[in-house]
Amino acid sequence: MSVALSVERLCKLYKLYDSPRARLQALVTGRPTHRPHWALRDVSFVLQRGQCLGVIGDNGAGKSTLLKLVAGTLRPTSGAITRGGDGRVTAILELGAGFHPDFTGRENLRFAGALIGIADDEIARLEAEIIAFAELEDAIDRPVKTYSSGMTVRLAFALATAVEPDVLIIDEALAVGDQHFQKKCVERIDSFRRAGCTILFCSHSQYHVRQLCDAALWIDTGQARLLGPTEMVLASYEAHVRMLDARKSQESMAAPAETASRAALSSPGRRGAITSVNASDLDGGSPPVLTSHDLAVTVSASVAGDERPNFGVMLQLVGGIGVTSVATHVDRVEPLPQPDGTWKVTVTFPDLPLHSGEYVLSAYLFDSKGMVVYDEWLHCIRFLFVAATPLPGLVTLRHHWS
Amino acid sequence: MHALTAECTALWRARRLLFLMARRDLSARHAGSVLGIVWLYAQPLLTIAIYYLVFDVVFRMRLGDGAPTQAVGAYLIVGLVPWMAFSDAVLRGMISLLEAGALLQKNPLPTALFPARAVLTGALIYLPLTLALVFVYTPMHHFGAALLLLPLLVAALLAMWFLLAYSLAIVAAAVRDVVQIVGFFLGIGAFLSPVLFLPSMFPPAISWLLWANPMTPPVLGLQSILLSGAMPRAEVWLGMLAWLVALAVVLDRLVDRSREQLIDWL
Repeated sequence: MSVALSVERLCKLYKLYDSPRARLQALVTGRPTHRPHWALRDVSFVLQRGQCLGVIGDNGAGKSTLLKLVAGTLRPTSGAITRGGDGRVTAILELGAGFHPDFTGRENLRFAGALIGIADDEIARLEAEIIAFAELEDAIDRPVKTYSSGMTVRLAFALATAVEPDVLIIDEALAVGDQHFQKKCVERIDSFRRAGCTILFCSHSQYHVRQLCDAALWIDTGQARLLGPTEMVLASYEAHVRMLDARKSQESMAAPAETASRAALSSPGRRGAITSVNASDLDGGSPPVLTSHDLAVTVSASVAGDERPNFGVMLQLVGGIGVTSVATHVDRVEPLPQPDGTWKVTVTFPDLPLHSGEYVLSAYLFDSKGMVVYDEWLHCIRFLFVAATPLPGLVTLRHHWS
Repeated sequence: MHALTAECTALWRARRLLFLMARRDLSARHAGSVLGIVWLYAQPLLTIAIYYLVFDVVFRMRLGDGAPTQAVGAYLIVGLVPWMAFSDAVLRGMISLLEAGALLQKNPLPTALFPARAVLTGALIYLPLTLALVFVYTPMHHFGAALLLLPLLVAALLAMWFLLAYSLAIVAAAVRDVVQIVGFFLGIGAFLSPVLFLPSMFPPAISWLLWANPMTPPVLGLQSILLSGAMPRAEVWLGMLAWLVALAVVLDRLVDRSREQLIDWL
């Protein structure tokens, strides 16, 4: 494999001025009047051709700054960015930037295409395909100001990805639009990845990072905290997030996540929704106690059309420490269609090898390929499990003494 | 001049996009109107028509000796057309980076494109009007050889507007107050130039103020070529050269000092 992108000791210093006057003074005299803020410091990585690197980190960690530097919209303070070849680089940092509301979708295509370096004749050749992908056949000759935000975003994404790039830089692009659009985004990005496109992908969706990326880079306060295989980096990052969450929950009473996830059910454009999550053998206590040695969780959902969805269930210790996650697409299990058109699946954990403690269940609904999260009920069932063993711990691992 | 050279190189590489942006800017200015592009030319044409009717037809006002023409209307029109173009290009160019902030933060585009677009758009509106003036006024002196210098004068004029607009755009990105201050100076600038008065009418004590206006040399040059059919005097060329060099040095410094952080300011 050849190197597609090499980033070496990349640094970005933002100069913070106390007032516009200080900024003017610096501009006119050349004397420094700023306070330095290092948004990125000594970040290095090498991406081989066809590799997908997920960039993760907290808000303000420097992820977007890194992507903007690699895309060329910001200039680095020091360090080097080297690309292995003159191939096309596409950066999806914001969808729809450059569209003029008074012009039609078709007119905007030509101009926005030129902005991202697609020649007129190439746009003309790709126009029909872009419009079809954006599903805007009926609206393409209307001014963009009459479009919904979803339509604008669809057109912009279809344009940005109309030409397969050698290097694709994506900043949270999957967080926009409805689920139908998100699904198309993920599928197109995945097809680029399979075709050998090098991808730099920044997302708060750890699920998508897991699905798409071969490696991950965790940026923390502007510095590369960990770079390596996706699972290893995500595990470290999740531990860090749990620690932060635990600290926060100690400091303030947080609103229950369950309420948030259920409220999202009514959002428009949703292609699927979980309708119920039940765990068997829970008594009526508060919290309920699991009265069986087995834990059986049943999740029901409705999905638009005849798409066969996938389900996931996550078991965590209260406080956020993960015990296990299972998903139908990973285990190659097909959920069962119900006579009323809904889908249902039950996962059973026989002879639960847990130690005593308070546990929480979350349920997830995915698309048919397991790429897009249609719905999630986070921390929806809380229960107490009393194990026979009096010893401390989380799970009883298979073991033998010698 | 390293920074400025790099900017000009980037601009040259993006010249196709520049023309596309200028065309779109023109279309955007009349988007939604019935008469469309006509409005872009109607405004200055109406101004020219009013000056001609009022000063040269109704009142038949005349200038004294030493003027490039005796007709007050013609004198005002030849000065006002470049002044209107200058005001338009500099004002739009000055705010061009502020307006393009979101676009520049998301797309790797040369910043010079935006002030250059403002100047080019201004040129696309006012150059045809200047050409019209050539056909109206030069027959009076039988298309003299001085007319051959008009393209050079216009090229220098456009270069000067670009340098000034880009410099102001960078300063405006740092301090927004500049937009208000420059707007005020553009408002009074026509009074401190040979657009409305003959240079000889200025009190000697403040005549230096004329040369502090970057539009004084080119306006004098245009008046010479279009109204007298005479070669512009050496001071016109020297004045323009001085302004071009000064603005190039200033812009080079500004680009160099702001290069790393300009996008952050938008």
